[in-house]
Amino acid sequence: MSASAKKRIMREYGECMTEKPAGMKINFDEQNMTKWEVLMDGPDGSAYAGGHFKLEIVFPNEYPFKPPVVSFRTKIYHPNVSNDDKGSMCLGLLRPDEWKPPNKVVAVLRLIQSLMVEPNIDDAIEPSIGNEYKENRKEFEKNAKDWVKRYAK
Amino acid sequence: MATAGEDERTEELETLQSIYPELVIDAPFAAHIDLPVAPTVPLPVSFEPIQEVHRIAYLPPLRLHLALPADYPAEAPPKVKLSTSLSWLPPDTVEKLEKEAHALWEEYSGGQVLFAYVSYLQEAAETAFGLSELTLLDSVQNELLQYSKRMKRELFDKETFDCEVCLEPKKGSVCYRMERCNHVFCVQCLQDYLNNCIEEGDVNNVKCMSTDCGKTMPNGKKKERLLSPKELLRIPLPLQAVERYAKIKRKKKIEADPTIIYCPRSWCQGAMRTDKYPKIKDVREMDDSDSEPEEPVEPPSDKQPTVSGLEKRMVGVAGMDRLAVCEDCTLAFCKVCLASWHGDFVRCEPRDKNQLTEEDQASLNYIMRNTSPCPTCSVPCQKSYGCNHMTCFQCKSHFCYLCGAWLPPENPYGHFSNPRNKGCFNRLMDLVEGDMGEGEVQFGGARGAEQMADFWEQEAMRIQNELNAQDS
Repeated sequence: MSASAKKRIMREYGECMTEKPAGMKINFDEQNMTKWEVLMDGPDGSAYAGGHFKLEIVFPNEYPFKPPVVSFRTKIYHPNVSNDDKGSMCLGLLRPDEWKPPNKVVAVLRLIQSLMVEPNIDDAIEPSIGNEYKENRKEFEKNAKDWVKRYAK
Repeated sequence: MATAGEDERTEELETLQSIYPELVIDAPFAAHIDLPVAPTVPLPVSFEPIQEVHRIAYLPPLRLHLALPADYPAEAPPKVKLSTSLSWLPPDTVEKLEKEAHALWEEYSGGQVLFAYVSYLQEAAETAFGLSELTLLDSVQNELLQYSKRMKRELFDKETFDCEVCLEPKKGSVCYRMERCNHVFCVQCLQDYLNNCIEEGDVNNVKCMSTDCGKTMPNGKKKERLLSPKELLRIPLPLQAVERYAKIKRKKKIEADPTIIYCPRSWCQGAMRTDKYPKIKDVREMDDSDSEPEEPVEPPSDKQPTVSGLEKRMVGVAGMDRLAVCEDCTLAFCKVCLASWHGDFVRCEPRDKNQLTEEDQASLNYIMRNTSPCPTCSVPCQKSYGCNHMTCFQCKSHFCYLCGAWLPPENPYGHFSNPRNKGCFNRLMDLVEGDMGEGEVQFGGARGAEQMADFWEQEAMRIQNELNAQDS
């Protein structure tokens, strides 16, 4: 990774420290700054409220020309997060063809927060969960809350 | 009234100088100052006799000469004289502005008016002294345009910008302003980004980096303009990179055009000559704003242009002109049988398909092994980054990188979460860092079967070889 890329990651971390984005905590290891661990609270009013979700953000060598890779390390019942041990996300900003270099990690984290409040059904990575969200909201919320209890406490 | 010792006029001039340090005091009661003229709306200027209109943002400064008579300010107005280099300001405007000094002096009924007058001139300069357009002789055109350009550059160099990519404040002198959209980035970041795009052959991303750039079209797709080679050189990018960019861009267009046939000489393989995609001569002259990354290729029309007068008699089927000429080696060949040109009246011989050079065979093998073909347009794709849900760079089809299956655009991910798709189930994020073409991808579907067959064939050969070695 180039020196300027490292500098930018440091700067972004600095910004996150001064402007502390609400509802999350970032663990940063200076020895391994290309991998951030984020602890995100389930937003109030969403099915995930009360849960704490561990996220991993990996910066590629070409950052910021290529997007960071985001994955949920805590299992989450969500149409936009893959329902496997990877917990991957691949939508919006995070798609290489949509990413623009001025975008920042904070924007990615905000996107994730807003997706927890309102999933993007049109771009569901888990269509069955997406369908449930659309057609049987009660069942969806029950399942989501169930998972919060089971995995995210 | 002048008090003992200090003249009121000297005092006023000194005060004025402390406000405008650029004021030069020439004599005890005379001074001059250059006032910049940068109208908020650039002034349209046309130069005779050519009727070309230029919008000029910075005009040469307005010079104000002041002379204060002995009975100023009580009894006499200040004497003012205005001028501009190249005399671009029309005489009647100069006269009008000069008269204003007198009017102000009367308004102030004999008070000190210099500051008020200079402020008035400065304000008037913002609206180009009320001019809505200007016509000048073309003898001053160059100098005027040069001046505006120089001023723009000087002011830009002095400014400080926050580069949105490295997030550092940078002096204008190491920044670049994009010509079309005016976004500013530091040259280093622009170079890193654009060189990287060109190196990876990702020419469709050679555009402004800003998130505001590219309007969303009514169909929901973003349309952004690619940068012209000329602009890339101004940033500056190395000539070699810009040449590569222009070459790839042209090549992509040619490849997307099914009517183009390639030279049959295996060592050449140039495209046939055509007016549609002119050969690149000098990228330094390429100002093309051509920029739709994907222009729809017009189907070859069967209609012949109707020529008035004598009608030309066509030979054979209309639109079946078989003669093509290679743009690289100038070989004349037949589009149908790919033999060297045999004339219009010869039937084509069937061609030999096994004429691949070793090099071509090697790249063909590589393509077969390490790329996934788009199910719609068959263009071979290699994943450089991201998940296995691919969007074809050529035709925008959605497909699976692992098995090459076409995916419905409204639900492309369903493919990876359906356990029935054995080879691809739960493998959306396999090799998210990209396929480096070293065989680390385990493809699925028919592609996977081929890959496995290939693997076992190699394995069988290896075992056989080992056995042979043991025997001997």
